[in-house]
Amino acid sequence: MTKRTWCQALGGHTLPGMRRRSSLLLSAAVLSGLSLAGCGDDAPTSAGGSPSPTVAAVHAEQGVVVTGAWVRATTGSATPSMTGAFMVLRNDGDADVVLVRARTKVARMTQLHEMSMVDGKATMHEVSGGIRVPAGGSVTLQPGGYHVMLMKLARPLPAGEEVPLTLTFSDGTSQTVTAPVKVFAEETGGYSPTPAPMH
Amino acid sequence: MSSRRQFLGYLATAGAAATSGALGGRASATTEAPAAQPAVRSFSPHGEHQAGVLSAGQAVLHAVALDLLPGTDRAALGRLLRVWTGDVEALMTGRGPLGDPTPELAEGGNGLTVTVALGHGAFALPGLAERKPAGLSAVPPMRHDRLEPRWSGGDLLLLVAADEATSVDHAVRRLLRDAEPFARLRWRQRGSWRGTDAHGRTVTGRNLMGQVDGTGNPPPGALRDQTVWATSPSWFEGGTTVVVRRIRMDLDDWDRLTRDEQEAALGRRLASGAPLHGSQERDPVDLRRLPPGSHVAVAHPSANGFRRIFRKGVNWTDERLAADGPVVESGLLFLSFQADVARQFVPVQQHLDRADALNRWTTATGSAEFAVLPGLQPGRWLGQGLIGP
Repeated sequence: MTKRTWCQALGGHTLPGMRRRSSLLLSAAVLSGLSLAGCGDDAPTSAGGSPSPTVAAVHAEQGVVVTGAWVRATTGSATPSMTGAFMVLRNDGDADVVLVRARTKVARMTQLHEMSMVDGKATMHEVSGGIRVPAGGSVTLQPGGYHVMLMKLARPLPAGEEVPLTLTFSDGTSQTVTAPVKVFAEETGGYSPTPAPMH
Repeated sequence: MSSRRQFLGYLATAGAAATSGALGGRASATTEAPAAQPAVRSFSPHGEHQAGVLSAGQAVLHAVALDLLPGTDRAALGRLLRVWTGDVEALMTGRGPLGDPTPELAEGGNGLTVTVALGHGAFALPGLAERKPAGLSAVPPMRHDRLEPRWSGGDLLLLVAADEATSVDHAVRRLLRDAEPFARLRWRQRGSWRGTDAHGRTVTGRNLMGQVDGTGNPPPGALRDQTVWATSPSWFEGGTTVVVRRIRMDLDDWDRLTRDEQEAALGRRLASGAPLHGSQERDPVDLRRLPPGSHVAVAHPSANGFRRIFRKGVNWTDERLAADGPVVESGLLFLSFQADVARQFVPVQQHLDRADALNRWTTATGSAEFAVLPGLQPGRWLGQGLIGP
């Protein structure tokens, strides 16, 4: 299976700019958390467009590159004991890598979830086998798609706090990222295990 | 007119070489340079100072004042500033802020700046009062003021500017949305400026009276730095203060004057912006050769003990609905940047209030003062030096 079909099979979300390839953009992405890379990007090869050897080496050592991580604030939420975490996972390596686990001290329980449409309704369920990041591609965890479900929160999460998230991957690497907490309006699924009852 | 536009358009598409710009405002179509390509530019969110203070020539500016919600304490203000820092970094580098459902509206190359400032109310929070910059003080009432609460005050200020309006609308919406747990909109004033001429060359620009407005700003260099940037307290180094004045203009009455009468009130030529005794916009001003009470004769640093400000203006037009239909109001949103409000802005404004001939046509209907936070360093957040850690 090619990288592209992995990506499509997973329904990975892409962001504007993902097709652009330049060392500048890739370096900037690493430095400032840009969410530019996307599904279907081939391994960088083109002349004048490949990342510098230094950047590539860092990627190889670090495994998946995590950018744009954030957590939805729970203050004022209908379900303040749970929320979602979102981010972009980019894999510049030659082999697929799976996000197998996400942990944070602010939640006593975490799951990797995805949203899908069942009988015309958005429903959420746990992903079996983790979230696959294809070689040379990326996956976006975002509202309405893949996300890290944070449950049994130890306390409410107000906007502007920062939550440490420790991500463990199938290649044996793990890393801790700092995710700012932000307000978010969209209510699809409510990021609760069962859809909220309709009024 | 349309044939002239078509001709200029033809020149631009044909890529004709520039001929001569020496004729300035009196150039005819046959000698005009081709239109400049639309500028694609961006400002860094990082630096010693926030870029939006000195950024020049942006076509659109929104001044957005917010009030803190009752529950917003010092720690919560810190959280808001962290959120806004992420938003500012994203927006100024052409990305949607985290959680933006419409990140495509944040596409860069638009010369966007977001400038964050704190008003008196923010410094009234427990733990911040003793850290308030001495340079941030209230502007005392002026005789000609007709201030409305609707356009005055505010605990926080965002100045959002860009080379086009859609990006500004989007940026302000995201910033207000992300501020919702902490603060709510108090007033917003939208304005526009034309900082280029017909050939795309940078010019000072004009207010709605037709006046070339801003000639007297200190040029880049030590004088401007000393005018604008605060040096104390230490957390505020690299910051500045801004006075926002919403000035209503009586354009209907202004239009009744002859050009001579208008120029006598301004002290400058309308066409060139030159002082009445000179011929070029930047000719030195000689107070003895200007009509007493003309605007430049009262506002010029040499008439004010060489107190200086760095000013920006944007033009605005609002309509409000009266019983018999819409009533149009126009004017200038005046932004005065200085290290110290009381030592620089206030004496100049008091002098203008006493003597400026333009007082007959200009009335301040809003006024507010804010401390513009020092520039942002990568990995830190705006206001971190104030609120910590």
